[in-house]
Amino acid sequence: MAEIPRSDLSVAEEILGGYPAEEPALIQILQDVHRAYNYLPCDVLERVAEALDVPLAKVFSVSTFYKSFSLEPQGDTIVKVCTGTACHIRGAGLLVEELERQLGVGPGETTEDLSFTIKTVNCVGACAMAPVMIVADKYWGSAKPTRVKKYLAKGGDDEN
Amino acid sequence: MPTLKINGRRVTVDADATILDAVRAAGVEVPTLCHFDGLEPWGGCRLCVVDMSQAGWEDDWFKVVTACNHPVDEGMTVVTDSERIIETRRVVLDLLLARCPEAPLIQELARDYGIEETSYTPNPEPDDCILCGLCTRVCDHIGVSAISSADRGWGREIAPPFHKPPPDCIGCLACAEICPTDCIPYETSNIRRTIWGKEFEMLRDPKTGEAVITKEQAEHFAERSGVPITYFETSDTSKRRQMASTFQKLQVVK
Ligand code: SF4
Ligand code: SF4
Ligand code: FES
Ligand code: FES
Repeated sequence: MAEIPRSDLSVAEEILGGYPAEEPALIQILQDVHRAYNYLPCDVLERVAEALDVPLAKVFSVSTFYKSFSLEPQGDTIVKVCTGTACHIRGAGLLVEELERQLGVGPGETTEDLSFTIKTVNCVGACAMAPVMIVADKYWGSAKPTRVKKYLAKGGDDEN
Repeated sequence: MPTLKINGRRVTVDADATILDAVRAAGVEVPTLCHFDGLEPWGGCRLCVVDMSQAGWEDDWFKVVTACNHPVDEGMTVVTDSERIIETRRVVLDLLLARCPEAPLIQELARDYGIEETSYTPNPEPDDCILCGLCTRVCDHIGVSAISSADRGWGREIAPPFHKPPPDCIGCLACAEICPTDCIPYETSNIRRTIWGKEFEMLRDPKTGEAVITKEQAEHFAERSGVPITYFETSDTSKRRQMASTFQKLQVVK
C-alpha cells in the first residue's frame, strides 16, 4: 500500500470533495480515509469533523466503534488469526504464539518496520477449516504453527 | 388526555407523557439510572422496566417495556412490581454490580433488591462508570459535545477525543454533576478549574472576587443567548447586593 504521510491532508481533501458535507457521509468518508492512509490519522479526523460540522467527539466515537478502523498506523500486511470457538479449540492459541515468535509483536500490535500487524478476530465463518489464519486477503485453513513462516512469506500471493 | 391504570390505581396524564411520568403521577416509585428530566430519554440502563398491557390486548397479555421512554396510551395498564419485573431488575443490578463493585449507589440499589454480592465475576479493574450516557447527553444538550462514548464491548468507555484534553469542553461541570455515580473527577478553585485534563481560568466577579464561571462557558452562553458576557461574571452575592440597593431606592407610597 502506498504510504501517505499523515500530515498530507490533500488526500483527505480530495476524499471530502467527493461527498456532501453532511453527517450521514461520515462512515463512508472514514472508510475512504482508512483505505488511503491505512489508518485514521488524528489530524485527518479533526479535518473531517470540521468539514462535516460534526463534533470531534462524535467522529472519535465512530472511529473507535468499528473494529475495521485503526487509529494507529498499521502494517502493510494485516495478519488475522481467528480465535473464535472452533478455531480456539483447534489450536488458534498456538498460531498466535508462533506469530509472536516470528514477528516479535502480539495481537493488536504492529512491527516496527510497519510491515505486519497482528489481529485476532472472532469467527470468520469458516469453522469447518479451523483454525483459520488470514494473511492480507488470503485465507489459510487448517493452519499449522510450523507453516506460519510460509504463510507470512506468501502473504497475499495467489499461488499456493 | 389518556387515563391509565398503574398498579390498580387510575391516573390521567398529558398525551405526550411517558409511562415513567404516569407512574410518578400515581405516586409509585420506579428506579432509574439513565434518566434525567429534561434530557431526551435513552432507555439504556433497563432498570425502569415495567409490565405493560395496551387496551384491547388479552387480559393476561403483558409486555416488559422501559418506562422512561415508552409513550402512554388510553386504557394502558401498568404493573411495576410483578415477579418477573423484580427479577429483571435484579439481573440488571447484578450485572451492574459486577461491572462496578465499588460504586456506593449501585451497591445500595442492589441491596434494595436483595443482592449483597454479584453472582457474576466482578470486574477485576473496578470502575464506577455504569455507561448510562448521561454525561455525554447533557454535554450534547448544552450544544458542546466535547466527550463521547468510545470503543465497544468490554472496552467501551466515556472519553474525550483521542483521550486528550477535549478542545471543545467549556468546563461547565454539567457532566460531573449529572453523573449518578460521581465518577468524573474534577478540581475547582477560585482561580482554576480542571476537568477531563483540561485547565480553565475562572472568571471572577469584579466586585466580590468570587469565581463564578469559566471564561469559555461564559463565552458559550453569551454567544448562544445574546446576553452580554458581563452578566455571567456577576456572582449571586453581587446580584443580591444589587437587588438590595435597588429596593432601598424604592419609595413606598402609602
Ligand atoms: S465540563 Fe466539558 S465535557 Fe463536561 S459537560 Fe461541560 S463542556 Fe461537556
Ligand atoms: S461517567 Fe457517569 S454519567 Fe457518564 S456514563 Fe459513566 S456513569 Fe454515566
Ligand atoms: S471460529 Fe474460526 S472460523 Fe469460526
Ligand atoms: S431509566 Fe429507563 S432505561 Fe434507564
